[in-house]
Amino acid sequence: MVLSKQKKVEMYRRMLKIRSFEERIVDLYARGLVPGLAHLYIGEEAVAVGACANLRDDDYITSTHRGHGHVIAKGADVKFMMAELFGKTTGYCKGKGGSMHIADVDIGILGANGIAGGGLPIAVGAGLSSKYRKTDQVTICFFGDGASNNGTFHESLNLAAVHKLPVIFTCENNQYAISTEQTTHQTIKDISIRSIAYDIPGVTVEGNDLMAVYNALNEAVQRARNGRGPTLVECKTYRWRGHHEGDPNLGERYRRREDIKPWIEKCPIKRFEKVLLKERVLDQAKIDEIKNAVQKEIDEAVEFANASPFPKNEDIYEDVFEEEMGGSR
Amino acid sequence: MATEVVLPMLGITVEKGKILKWIKSEGERVEKGESIFEVEADKVTTEVESPASGILKKILVPENLEVPVLTVVGVITAEGEEIQEKYVAGKPEIVEPFKGAAPEVLVSAASAEVSETMASEPSGSVRAVPAARKVAREYGIDLSLISGSGPGGTILKKDVENYMALERAEITAPKGKERRATPLARRLAEKEGIPLENVSGTGHHGRVTKMDVLKASEKGKTALPGEAPAETLFGKTIPMSRMRRVIARRISQSAFTAPHIYFFTDVEMGRLIQLRDEIVSEYEDQFGVRISINDFIIKAVGLTIREYPMLNASLDGENIRINPEINVGLAVALEEGLIVPAIPRADRYGLGDIARMRVDLVERSRNGKLTIEEIERGTFTISSLAQFGITYFTAILNPPQSGILTVGKLDEKLSLINGEVRTKQVTRFGLSVDHRIVDGAVAAAFLQAFKGKLESPSSAFIQLT
Amino acid sequence: MREITYAQAINEALRENMRRNSRIILMGEDIGRYGGIFQVTAGLLDEFGPERVIDTPISEAGFVGTCVGAAMTGLHPVAEVMFIDFTTCAMDMIVNQMAKMHYMSGGRGKVPFVLRTNIGAGRGAAAQHSQSFHSFFMHISGLKVATPATPYDAKGLMNTALADENPVMFIEHKKLFITKGHVPEESYSIPFGKADIKREGNDITIVATHALVQKSLNVAEEMSQEGINIEILDPRTISPLDKEAILNSVKKTGKLITADEGCVTGGFGSEIAATVAQEAFDYLEAPIIRVGSPDTPVPFSPPLEQFYIPGEDNIREAVNKILEYQ
Repeated sequence: MVLSKQKKVEMYRRMLKIRSFEERIVDLYARGLVPGLAHLYIGEEAVAVGACANLRDDDYITSTHRGHGHVIAKGADVKFMMAELFGKTTGYCKGKGGSMHIADVDIGILGANGIAGGGLPIAVGAGLSSKYRKTDQVTICFFGDGASNNGTFHESLNLAAVHKLPVIFTCENNQYAISTEQTTHQTIKDISIRSIAYDIPGVTVEGNDLMAVYNALNEAVQRARNGRGPTLVECKTYRWRGHHEGDPNLGERYRRREDIKPWIEKCPIKRFEKVLLKERVLDQAKIDEIKNAVQKEIDEAVEFANASPFPKNEDIYEDVFEEEMGGSR
Repeated sequence: MATEVVLPMLGITVEKGKILKWIKSEGERVEKGESIFEVEADKVTTEVESPASGILKKILVPENLEVPVLTVVGVITAEGEEIQEKYVAGKPEIVEPFKGAAPEVLVSAASAEVSETMASEPSGSVRAVPAARKVAREYGIDLSLISGSGPGGTILKKDVENYMALERAEITAPKGKERRATPLARRLAEKEGIPLENVSGTGHHGRVTKMDVLKASEKGKTALPGEAPAETLFGKTIPMSRMRRVIARRISQSAFTAPHIYFFTDVEMGRLIQLRDEIVSEYEDQFGVRISINDFIIKAVGLTIREYPMLNASLDGENIRINPEINVGLAVALEEGLIVPAIPRADRYGLGDIARMRVDLVERSRNGKLTIEEIERGTFTISSLAQFGITYFTAILNPPQSGILTVGKLDEKLSLINGEVRTKQVTRFGLSVDHRIVDGAVAAAFLQAFKGKLESPSSAFIQLT
Repeated sequence: MREITYAQAINEALRENMRRNSRIILMGEDIGRYGGIFQVTAGLLDEFGPERVIDTPISEAGFVGTCVGAAMTGLHPVAEVMFIDFTTCAMDMIVNQMAKMHYMSGGRGKVPFVLRTNIGAGRGAAAQHSQSFHSFFMHISGLKVATPATPYDAKGLMNTALADENPVMFIEHKKLFITKGHVPEESYSIPFGKADIKREGNDITIVATHALVQKSLNVAEEMSQEGINIEILDPRTISPLDKEAILNSVKKTGKLITADEGCVTGGFGSEIAATVAQEAFDYLEAPIIRVGSPDTPVPFSPPLEQFYIPGEDNIREAVNKILEYQ
């Protein structure tokens, strides 16, 4: 797959933006500015960016509790994300959703989801809807190795297969279902083999290799757009942080810190940076410039979130229901 | 620019943490992401990463001190940069998390629809449906005058309405108009000087009978002004006052969480009483206050606690916290309940100061003028029922304290000394302790040392006055 | 005047709406070729084809969740969950996804989705196919819950459900499917949150749902011979709930009976009783009585099942108890 220089730089920038956003959350969470739960995506950036780089604005994604990376990759504005994480009215969900529920249907983000496996049937629904409306929209459904054991995984793959729906089930195998490692929670090594049960293609790729993810998803997306049904893509990766911020010592209750080290060496961003330097797409000066610009964007997002107001108590009663009545159109 | 290092949020259930170890020391260089200290919270030890690169210029919270999360525990600066004045003072600053959230308001929003009529007055043993009560309340009708036609004699709305129809003349009668009464009742009321409108009638159609007047006159005799007659309290439900509720909660918490054990000892008070009599006028001149036996007891408790710090401790999760100051609380009985203001550093102040503080605290207790600090600073409590003639008693700990001393009345006891029968002045002291913190032997030794001080008062108190 | 069954009334509403509104699709187990276990969707596959009337695998979480996703992306799905007992297999999708999406997203995602299912014992189907826990969904904010008691209400409420851009739990009653009633051929809507006074009276209020509406009407008719005038009020949607109508009726009569097929403890009647006790306390002239199912699973054996189902005897007993306060 030959990509334009511009596209590669944009993919690099998105990965950096995810990393910087998450690193800032580490600090903001520690300082009590981000309430609740924050599940960070550091180390897994190539999956979201490699996958979403194949999507158009009108395509859909469903995300997970670890969703910041997915929505940034799909084009969410970090300003509104940050405000949401702060619980402010200017956030994507007016402060009613928080970290785990960022949604923007206008750019195809059908919501991050606090329930492991919760997004899979919803992705099937989006696929069914696209097929029924005869558009060529596709849906990428992100989920983790943990969710692959949930009933909804099987129900959803089966439904999507039966109806040949344009859904790309993208499993981020970061090797831990919270604290339970993959060898403890399932007997298979490659989750992609579960595709056999539904007679759909299944493929496993190195999830820290941006281009490998991009290429695998590219093929699956083409397939889906052409009406040939769903694919299961497994991206093997690793989460550097604990399950959530506050998980002691980056998860030392269930893994050793030495286990994390080799994966830090396999950093997906550094890896792609080397490729870009080698291919002379970027030079160091240009890289620094991009990094500074991304930092500035995150700084501005924090300023925006800080300056924004909290919701008022009476706002609690708003948005329980859609006021507008629909019916036949 | 200086970066504050905070004790981080360590998950949603953690509120406090203790720094076990500073991995970096003051003045040392630290890189962002490098471990800077180790914190223990909820029994788990976590290494905390530095939020910035630079010099760890100042450590504000030392090792082994438990502080709330978000407390600023240190400051990182650039090389050569000076830190602001506020950090030099070294007082930990606690950041308020998530300002703007106000959950208590939500509670009130949810219960806002409660009708205010729900708090209907207690009504003795009368059974009536709510609608009947409402009519009775509106027209000022005493439900006890109405016989109910519902199941089990329950008064129905129609019973009240029928009653009103019959009694209309009286109910709507302007005040001052005579109430229906039997001639006998009327004569008796005049004789006793009881206004008939104040008497509820139990006779036919609510007529006031002789018995009603007699009852009313008895009530008048026993009732104190402004107070409900005691007999009317029987069978009634009384809402707890705020203070009573607090007391109830704290006492049950103490009784049901702290396993209590009790010890008693008899103390010969003769020499102490003698000493007090000797010095009382001198002290009165000097301090303007009459020193009492209680002041000696307070002082002796302070001194004895110094030897037995466990009696000055409280339980804090898995830790025993030994309070830095010995503040001895005095249980003061008020009408609404008990209050325990504390004399600060009773081990250090002299008897005169203690006496002055005691008089002041007791007086302000009765006026309701104590500060929260005066009530909350106590680390040990003394409770005396000597003036009620109680020989001895047990007390429930004042949480989270680990000890409470009880003082009984002064008794004369006969004893045989050198073949002669003499009287001894004896007071029985009791000690309740929290057995989780204090062992029986420690409690016994404390009581023994305390007894020793009161029985040899000159050596115990003289140099300290 | 035309009379059709409750099942036919729902079928008619679905058919008319599907003709008008191409966003509507149906999903469920055995709803196509089979016509639905209670024949509510009979004939719809023939008219609208397999793209719009979709037989699903036995995957309640899967197809209910699929409806949520389809609703968020432009369709207006109607799912049939064969028995309310089976909603438990899709509870995450209903409670955490369908009901919460609009709120969690601050109004950015809407879920116009009607989930049809049914309650009721009386078919010898025992404890896993006969339950009546519709009040459970009343407890979940973000859901509207319709509970039609007559063919007329069923059609009118379904028309409203399909004009609403919110998730609706449309809870039918399996013993009512074959009951007949007057249903106009033209389209009409019954607003949500508007109770129907099925019978006027001054002496006692009965707030009844589903099958207990007719049973209460029968008892009321009988009692009127003795000069007792019972008012029967059917909320028609238990969420939103027409509290005002209930309170007004109780303020008039001073006496309240609730009649609902769910288990009494923690049920619909308890909620109504609490509301009235809280907001119309001073009007109460007698204790509130809840008529409902015993707090046991639904038994299989026919005599036991008959004993289980709240019926006219239970209502009569409640009325007599209340009359002691008359």
